Amino acid sequence: MNSMLGVLARVPLLQLYRQFGHPRMLPLNLTLSPSPRCNSRCLTCNIWMKRENELTLDEWDKVLKSLGRAPYWFTVSGGEPFLYQGLVQLCQLAYKHGRPGIINIPTNGILPSIPEKVQRIAESCSLSRLIINLSLDGIGEKHDIIRGVAGNFGKFEQTCKALLDLRERLPNLSVGIHTVISVFNVADIDEIMDYADRSGADQFITEIAEPRVELDTVGLPITPSREDYRSAIDRLIAHVEQRSYRRISRITEAFRVHYYKLVKRILDEEDQAIPCYAGWASAHIYADGTIWPCCVRADALGNLREHGYDFRRIWFGDKIKAVRRSIAARECHCPLANASYTNLLHHIPTLVKIGTKVLLPARRAPEESKTDTHEVIGTSV
Amino acid sequence: MPFEWLTTFQGSLEKPADYAAKTLASYRLGMRAGGSIVGVVVQTSDDCCAAARALPRGAIYLPDEAPRLPLAGCSVCDQCRCVYRPRMTYQGDPK
Repeated sequence: MNSMLGVLARVPLLQLYRQFGHPRMLPLNLTLSPSPRCNSRCLTCNIWMKRENELTLDEWDKVLKSLGRAPYWFTVSGGEPFLYQGLVQLCQLAYKHGRPGIINIPTNGILPSIPEKVQRIAESCSLSRLIINLSLDGIGEKHDIIRGVAGNFGKFEQTCKALLDLRERLPNLSVGIHTVISVFNVADIDEIMDYADRSGADQFITEIAEPRVELDTVGLPITPSREDYRSAIDRLIAHVEQRSYRRISRITEAFRVHYYKLVKRILDEEDQAIPCYAGWASAHIYADGTIWPCCVRADALGNLREHGYDFRRIWFGDKIKAVRRSIAARECHCPLANASYTNLLHHIPTLVKIGTKVLLPARRAPEESKTDTHEVIGTSV
Repeated sequence: MPFEWLTTFQGSLEKPADYAAKTLASYRLGMRAGGSIVGVVVQTSDDCCAAARALPRGAIYLPDEAPRLPLAGCSVCDQCRCVYRPRMTYQGDPK
């Protein structure tokens, strides 16, 4: 299986690749969006309106084969991934070709078929850590209003409980709660945090609502003010830091805190703050086969259908060079979590800080975190 | 507004031939299917063509009635920096 040690060994090579263009490397973090279709109507996202000529499973098979064992971390995104009929098979293809360390799937938790599909994925991808992150943007009716679906919160709770039950039987399954902090809920973060604590989920993660070309949210007033976000995230950081974690969870939580601090810096400085590796270490394949460096810029690097389904022909081609120059020149900046965690992994000062923190003796808390029992291997969003 | 660079950046992206048809179709679907979208706005830039500058500022269109991009008479065509933006219920009255 693709191991975290193998990932760390590739970090200096990817740093060289970003700096000098050699050695040529494939991304270790890949997001797949097989379909934009979604049964949510979120105030912070418009992807659900889109329709695409989606890649078939046969086409995905060829694409994933061309990537070999390079990606350590797959995120299968959407739309709502569980609405995509081929989700289980797509994960199985990613597993067959890549043996990734992590398969991460966000979901709105609405469909009753989710637990059964999660079980099939977990059982058939048994050497990968499967992380299912349930979206939670408010408690009770507030969640339903932000997500645009009446009764969504009740369905979220049912699915969460079913997945937590499944987790007891499936050792490679982790269940997380994921909150998009937007202008609509930034004042509610304490309530959401408390709920997540009580839920029994392995992890609680947040991401700031940001404009993305992919989501057609550019120019929409969804991002909280710097002050409001700072206030909310400082409370969340304090919450994470007062708890005790062991082994791998100490590393993942340390990364999470650094990510939250990085987001504050990006908002304050309006700059990447640390070098971005989107286009080198991370990438995104959209439903129609277009490769993007990330879903924020969503500039088309090429379409796999026009390149024999060979990821390498686009990744090592000419068109990507101008995009990489633009990213390296810091013409963009964003707090996209998926890319940011990869960026932190390539940032030596961050690694030193995290290493120091992890090596220091752990504080003992009265009650051990759930993450101590159900460890999350690697970072996840 | 945070991440203002993205507004300019998106305008600079080359538009596929079906940009107008595809984007307006998605907004049409969005309005039919119970989203928070209430219409479409054409975002112009300072360096766009005369045809774009002549559009009424802040106008909100129904997808079927929105001007097609690139506009007829656009002098830069596929380099057109105008983009469609969804108008959402929570954005209030622009006037």
